Amino acid sequence: MGDLLSVADSDKAALLGLYEEKRANLVRFFAARLGSRAEAEDLIQDLYLKISGMEAVGPIDNPSALLHRMGQNLMLDRLRSQKRSGTRDNDWRSVNTTSFAGQEVADEPAADEVVAGRQRLKALVEAVEDLPEKTRQAFQLHKLDGHSHVETAKRMGISVSTVEKHISSALKTLTRRLR
Amino acid sequence: MSRSAQHLQEAADWLTRLQRPEVDETDWLAFDAWLNEPGAQEAYDAIQAVDEEIFQRGSAVRGELAVPRRAVAAKRAFTIDWRWLGGLGAAAAAAAVAIVVAPWGELLPQPDTLYTTGKGENRAVQLADGSHIDLNTDSHLSVRFDKEARRVTVHDGQALFDVAHDTARPFLITAGDETVRVVGTKFDVRRRDGQLTVTVLRGLVEVSTDGEESPVRLRPGQMLEHVEGANGIVVRNVAAEDQVGWRSGRLVYRDQSLGRIVSDMNHYFERPLRLEGENTANLKFSGVLIVDGQDAMVRRLTSLMPISATPTDDSIVLRGKASTPN
Repeated sequence: MGDLLSVADSDKAALLGLYEEKRANLVRFFAARLGSRAEAEDLIQDLYLKISGMEAVGPIDNPSALLHRMGQNLMLDRLRSQKRSGTRDNDWRSVNTTSFAGQEVADEPAADEVVAGRQRLKALVEAVEDLPEKTRQAFQLHKLDGHSHVETAKRMGISVSTVEKHISSALKTLTRRLR
Repeated sequence: MSRSAQHLQEAADWLTRLQRPEVDETDWLAFDAWLNEPGAQEAYDAIQAVDEEIFQRGSAVRGELAVPRRAVAAKRAFTIDWRWLGGLGAAAAAAAVAIVVAPWGELLPQPDTLYTTGKGENRAVQLADGSHIDLNTDSHLSVRFDKEARRVTVHDGQALFDVAHDTARPFLITAGDETVRVVGTKFDVRRRDGQLTVTVLRGLVEVSTDGEESPVRLRPGQMLEHVEGANGIVVRNVAAEDQVGWRSGRLVYRDQSLGRIVSDMNHYFERPLRLEGENTANLKFSGVLIVDGQDAMVRRLTSLMPISATPTDDSIVLRGKASTPN
């Protein structure tokens, strides 16, 4: 019995060790999916709690794949609990800063922050406007209007892989201009 | 392509791939391996940060893009001068010419600028004083600034105001027989079918109604309702963010009548929805409607409520199902 326990413990320790090693990349992976690095950090923290709370860990075929699968399940749980309030909701909350839940009302942001925010927004909008026509169109449908790659492809009458090329190229161009 | 440009392109390709709905553990393993390449992590982090920023500020960017470029906007916004046309047409016209040379030029009333959106359109308007107005679909308002006040008239529709602080010049909004007076705050005004609502998100708003003796002060989370021409107003506590769900493409309802929901939807689409059958308009709905296509919205409504939808040549008819179990 003592043997069994120590085997399980060492497997768990190995998994936690791998977790530490892959942690940063897991955050990167889920940040793409959640659209938020902070939320991904949060999720991967939950993953840690999940692993350390596991009773017994048997031998694992592919521990890295298991980390992904567990993270994926946690993410789906989260998305399910947020229901459909998803992207635009989030958007509204963070862009307009003020938390207006109930009586709680935040102060207006400082004037220089407002100015900086507007300038940044202006730069963003100009960068989007300067994209080549088809690229801008794909970018707008997917990133701003919230259509999937497939839906965007249908609307533009082009293939999904072409849509992805446009999106990817837009991201690269915007990053070079804005960072 | 330079090395860093190459990395950025690869990073953007990866991020796009990870956002496919069918991404699986093979993608994760390959992504994890790719991140070992020198320069890959930095490139990916830069791409992801910009993607996140776009995700977070999407509707703001979309709002700005919806506004035509400045020069075009100036051309499209025509001016109306109803007040002066009504009063002293010729004198006003003469004065308008004098503005250019007269030192008292800026004391003269400025013409109204009309802002308008068509069905299914949103528009973000940045005013000269730093105030910001978001127009909902099918809305019409005009703006005039002068020495004493900043004046907005809501002719029809709905708009979210974020008003810049300026004690010297109050911000006055006229909607029907109501005047809303603002110092520096954020709130939503809706004027449709003779009904007015004002919902405050931040700050303090004063509403005067013809026939009411003293103005009503509204705090954040409060909504004022008023029927034009009638006496009396109602002030309720509401979830203010529900009232501005339209800003992010959602209509949020709590125990709302189908009549009102159909009226809202008809401001988004050319093809009208019509209600038939006794009490159909009074059926109640609570929930969130995502504003996308008309057919999709109708489909969702029919699955959430005891109603059926029948397309006709020029409209869609909604009818309550007779055999609603009690």
